[in-house]
Amino acid sequence: MQEKKLGDYIVTVDKINKTFPNGVCALRDFSTRIRRSEVVVVIGPSGSGKSTFLRCLNGLEEIDSGSIVIDGVPLDENKKNRWEIRKEVGMVFQSFNLFPHKNVLANITLAPRLVRKKSNDEATQMAMDLLGKVNIPEKADSYPSQLSGGQQQRVAIARALAMHPKVMMFDEATSALDPEMIGEVLDVMKNLAGEGMTMIVVTHEMGFAREVSDRVIFMEDGYIVEEGTAEHFFTNPQKERTKLFLSQIL
Amino acid sequence: MSHSYKHGWLKLKRSVVMDVTKFLMVVAVLIWVMARGTQRLPLMFGLVMTFRITAWGLVLSMTIGLVTALLRLSNSLFARIVARGYLELIRNTPLLVQIFFLYFVLAPIIGLSRLSAGVIALSLFEGAYASEIFRAGIVSIHKGQWEASHSLGFNIFDTYRCIILPQAIRRILPPLTSQAISLIKDSALVSTIAIYDLTMEGRAVIAETFLTFEIWFTIAFMYLVITITLSIVVNFLENRFRIQT
Repeated sequence: MQEKKLGDYIVTVDKINKTFPNGVCALRDFSTRIRRSEVVVVIGPSGSGKSTFLRCLNGLEEIDSGSIVIDGVPLDENKKNRWEIRKEVGMVFQSFNLFPHKNVLANITLAPRLVRKKSNDEATQMAMDLLGKVNIPEKADSYPSQLSGGQQQRVAIARALAMHPKVMMFDEATSALDPEMIGEVLDVMKNLAGEGMTMIVVTHEMGFAREVSDRVIFMEDGYIVEEGTAEHFFTNPQKERTKLFLSQIL
Repeated sequence: MSHSYKHGWLKLKRSVVMDVTKFLMVVAVLIWVMARGTQRLPLMFGLVMTFRITAWGLVLSMTIGLVTALLRLSNSLFARIVARGYLELIRNTPLLVQIFFLYFVLAPIIGLSRLSAGVIALSLFEGAYASEIFRAGIVSIHKGQWEASHSLGFNIFDTYRCIILPQAIRRILPPLTSQAISLIKDSALVSTIAIYDLTMEGRAVIAETFLTFEIWFTIAFMYLVITITLSIVVNFLENRFRIQT
């Protein structure tokens, strides 16, 4: 992989805690810092708090304590700050969550028009560029239900990119896909990483982690068990728990 | 794929339009025959009044229903309590009592006309039921739609307007139609405060002519025609929405 220059810290997470109303503790004093253009892959067994971590970063879940700062904006009670962060952090979901009553073009242009106040022409132009980038320009007029899973997820990525986010988060973006469609989505994600997008990726695709990531975080029970560069992580894991997990998954 | 899909939509649209048109023509002829044959113009005046009451009632009750549903789903505890209080108060008292209360107690105090009192009582009553239908429809939308809207930076207003309500409306159209039909039928109750709607005109005509059987039969038939027309129009709308998805 080519050498890549990482920027200053864009995401700072300091000792966040999250316990769900049903008593499940998802994050315990979780801290990490992420640099501009860094690709961070978060792995771990199910229920380890990976998704909760992502969901806290854009305010989908409330943290109980600790602090989150994204590009200088703290995620606090201030509504304006929260809105700022929602705009600047793109998210791709496991279940795509496309808007089923709108066609592909409208799915992508809606947010730029409503939130960024772009003109219709400008938003459409940008949407077509993005559809080209995710390799499905011919599907602009289709409805989500007419697309395959892989195509839907690529539309979802284009939809998030249309907001020009500073950070992109992927919450098990390929887990709901048929095996032959995983590749096309991962390719789009790889290209995105190559363009210098800051990415936080929760995934079970170890190939992707090894090939693209700058850092791998292994979580369990809301803690970081181990973290390090992909190479270090996969070839020379230190902790017993990490070794066991890798032996099960690889 | 998209070609055949468009073709199907055109075919469906044309056949439904034809059906609705034919039905409306039959209805028009029947009403004309009734008006001519019976020479009972008072009934036609009553019909117009019933139309006015139900038209206002539909607009008001749907608005009240939607607003109440949104209040019940809002984050504000006060809004939720107000909406819940309204709902329980209205749903647990008889419509007839509400009409009397509004007309005999409130109307003289705040200076409401007879018709306004009737329409408002009717709208408040049906709005309470409509609000539960709206709420059920909104809650049934998958939470992923909210999360996607949230992460794209939509505010709550845009989320409802562009994402949630357009999807919910497809699901709530059938129960909402039942509610609208109830409203049309319940509008007969305003005749009790001497509003000359279809039912009241009918009673007046019977008092003069003693044609009890003929007039009540005609009135029932006229209500039936209105409600069935509404059902068919909504059916048409439903097909339209479904095909677009």
